[in-house]
This record gives sequence, structure tokens and C-alpha cells, in this order.
Amino acid sequence: MSDQKEERGLRELYDQDPERADYLAFGRKTETDRRGFLKGAGLTAMMLAVGGAIPFARNMPSGLIPSALADTPEDFTLFGKTGIIIRNDRPVNLETPAPLLDPDVTPIENFFVRNNGGVPEATADPEAWTLTIDGEVDNPLQLTLAQLQSDFETVTLRMQLECGGNGRAGFNPSPRGNQWAIGAVGNGEWTGCRLRDVLQQAGLKSSAVYTGHYGADPHLSGEPGRPSISRGVPIDKALEPHTLLVWGMNGEPLPLIHGGPLRVVAAGWPGSCSQKWLTRIWVRDQEHDGPGMTGLSYRMPRNPVPPGAEVPHEDMVVMGPMPVKSVITFPDTLTDVRADEAFEVRGHAWAGEHEVQAMHVSYDFGATWVEAELEPPTNRYDWQRWRARITLPAAGYYEIWARATDDTGVMQPAVVPGWNPRGYGNNSQHRIALNAA
Amino acid sequence: MRGRKLRTGLACACLGLMMAGGASGQTSDFGGLPAGPGQLETFGNCTACHSTMIITQQNFSRRTWDEVLTWMVEDQGMWEMPSETRQIVLDYLVTHFGPES
Repeated sequence: MSDQKEERGLRELYDQDPERADYLAFGRKTETDRRGFLKGAGLTAMMLAVGGAIPFARNMPSGLIPSALADTPEDFTLFGKTGIIIRNDRPVNLETPAPLLDPDVTPIENFFVRNNGGVPEATADPEAWTLTIDGEVDNPLQLTLAQLQSDFETVTLRMQLECGGNGRAGFNPSPRGNQWAIGAVGNGEWTGCRLRDVLQQAGLKSSAVYTGHYGADPHLSGEPGRPSISRGVPIDKALEPHTLLVWGMNGEPLPLIHGGPLRVVAAGWPGSCSQKWLTRIWVRDQEHDGPGMTGLSYRMPRNPVPPGAEVPHEDMVVMGPMPVKSVITFPDTLTDVRADEAFEVRGHAWAGEHEVQAMHVSYDFGATWVEAELEPPTNRYDWQRWRARITLPAAGYYEIWARATDDTGVMQPAVVPGWNPRGYGNNSQHRIALNAA
Repeated sequence: MRGRKLRTGLACACLGLMMAGGASGQTSDFGGLPAGPGQLETFGNCTACHSTMIITQQNFSRRTWDEVLTWMVEDQGMWEMPSETRQIVLDYLVTHFGPES
């Protein structure tokens, strides 16, 4: 599949479905007379984007990209995002290009977005948002966001979050789902309280073995009350002190598109364990069986299977922690460099429940490897900065390959790892192309 | 960001054009689905819940597309299509978003 086919901007959205693009970018809904009646936040956003008031906004046809923007080279924003690859607009799924993953903390405006359902309406009163804790607990709880913020210790941690299907585009035959390349990952600075502290206040029964998370995002079919996705984690992961109930991201209130006002962050596990728009945690006496836990979803074959195999559901098991992985964030692929002149190659590495122990890069298709300098994480689950200096010996075409090794000695494979029906866990080495002159 | 003046100027100019010319380029065009037998059926049955973008980024075998259509009904709340419509949609998907396309 060509990049051209995959990489879409908002301009293309306007070409395909202008009314939807209007709604996504500016909150503009088309009225019955097919005029987009801009008001409130949508009008403000469009005014900001075009740089002035729009006196005849009421008359402005819906689904028409404002010409002030259509003629500019830079793309304007979708949920405040910039430079992002739109994998899907309904549900909204946005991928971060590798060079925008360069900062130690991924800016909100570049952070990837994964949704299974719709984006709920923003709540007018975030502090009144209520979380229910029930199931295998002695004292079921109903806690408002204000109570979570005042009654439990607040912590801020840098932790990476990665979609279970990141890298899916590498599998052949192509598995179902969004064809993520490398950028369904980001490192956020998350503020919240420990899920452990809340579960301890509720009092876990000895029968508690798993959590089941529920959120407020509406199902795409529009069926009321039907969960879009409801996944969970083994109770040990729920009690791990870095597993948080999060209301802040990068020093700001958690944005709506990232699950605000309240979400789980269970770093190192598939992102779907980190439920957005969190309303309920059902403590289970068995592995949770909500949508996204059964069948082929977020499951891997118990034993390796050949590519394209039809795997019976009973031979599939729930995905565990994410594998060791790294990304090259600088330079960008297809950059021109000078032969015989040293330059820096850098990026980040992470390893699910583990720490990254070593980082290597190769510029000769994996024949030899140069050890990179690797920084420790600021806290567990923070991704780790690595840097290497490289000199390409002569003019010509080179590839830089990057390989992380975790603290158990497990390395990223050079080729795409075990095929699975839904394309999870591709942690093959990231490669970029460079032309030396 | 560009200069505020330039943007304001462009916005005024484009608004003038819009008033005069009305909305051009407004056709939904089946969400970018290629023309061919089954385009209408596919658009009509699939985009009630999701956009065409999740379709157009795939290259599936007939078997996988068949599974996807079953999964949509069994797991995702899609209505059951009449069998001849389902066949038309399946053929369309394999033709345009199959392993060879």
C-alpha cells in the first residue's frame, strides 16, 4: 500500500465528506437548510483559524473548506491536532509521524488518538464526573472527580502509551483494523491518583482477579447503552502503583479527545486497557469478558500460526504487556546527509513492563551495530532517550535500523514478528532511509 | 501561522466568492469509494456507522472481507443485509480493496 493512499489530511476529508469534516474541525453541524450554522466553540475555532470575525457566518455554506485555509500550505487542526496522519475520521483515529515523536514528552497537539466508538459530548461540569467502583469489593464506591482529586494522593508520571495494533501495516496478509505504521504511540505526562489507592478504599475481596473498565463513548451503531469497548487488566496490574486514574495531561486538564475528564492509564499494556471517558470499574472474579476482550480482538494465538491462518477463537489468548520497541525520531526518513561527516541519530525506546537496557543502530542493513547512548527513564514506563553518532563512509543510499534490547535480553526483531489475525504487537526494528552525498 | 491581515483579507475575499458562487465541490461522492458495481450498496450499508476511511485503507482476501461483514452483524450492531446485497457488497470490497488491488 502506498504512503499516498494511507496519509490523509483534513483537506482530503473535505473532498470526501465535507459536512463531516466541518463537524470534526469546527463542531459545525449542518442544519436542514444545508447552511452550516456556526455558533459557540465552532465559530470561535473557525474565526481563530481564518484570523478574524466572519460576519456572514450564518450564510456560510456547510462543508466548504474556508478559502483562507484552503490556500495555505499548512493544515489546520482536527481536535487541536497538527501534523497528524488521519487514519480514520469516524471513529477518529490519528497517528503521529515519527519526527513529531522527538520531544521527551509528546505534545498534546501531536499525540496519537485511538477510538473504537464516538467521542462523547464534553461535560459542562468535570468535577461532578462520577466513577463507580463495584463488583468484587467490600464497599462499592461512587466518587466524583473532585473527590478523586481531594481524597487521594495526586501523582504525576511520564509514561508511554501505545496502541496494541501499532505497526499493523507491516503484517502480510493485511490484518483487519487501522493500518498504523509506527506512530500509534506517545509519551505523556499524566496527572492523577493511583487506581490501587481507590481499590483499597473499596476493599478488594479475595475473589478479585481482573478489572472491567467502562467509558462514556457512544457505540458507532448508535445503540444507547452499548459499550464501544470494555477491556480491563489483571488485578496485579491494577494494583501496580503506576496504574493511574488520570485527569491531567502534560500539565493541562485531560483533553476530551484523550478521554477527558477521566481515564485509566495502564502503561506498558495495549492502549485499550487505558479506558477513556471512564465511568465504571467493575472488579471481576474472572477474566473480564466485555467487548474487546473476546473473539479475536486484542488476542494473540496461544501458539505461533502461519501468516493468514484461520485461528479458532478458543486458541486465542488475551494480549499481555507490549513488547520492546524503539523509534527513530531524527533525522526524518529520506533526508539528505553528507558522507564522511558525523551526525546524530536519535529517538526513544520502551519495553512494556521492562526497562530498555541497550540500544543499537546499524547503517549497513544489520551487518554491524553501533551502540547508542541510552538515558534512564525518569520513572518506570517513561520512554528512554537514545542517541548515536554515525558517519556514512561514502555517497549513496543507506538505511538506519534501530534495535532496542530490554533488561531480560529480549531484542526487537529485524523482520515482522509472528503473524496474528488482528495484527498486534509488531515491534520490528524501525528503519529510515538516508541519501549521503 | 500566517499574518492575521493576510488571513482576514483572504477570508473576506473567499466569503465574497461564496456568496456569489454558492457551494461548489459539495458532492459527497460516496466518501471517496471508487466507482463500480456495488459502490452505492457499500456506501449505503457501511457508512451508517463508520466512514469509508476504514474501508479504503484495507487490502483483504475474500475470506477476510466475508468475516468482517459477519462480524459487523454479530458483534457491531449492523443490520443483516439481504443475501444478494451482501454478495454485491462483498464482490465490490474484494474487487477494490482486495489483495490484488
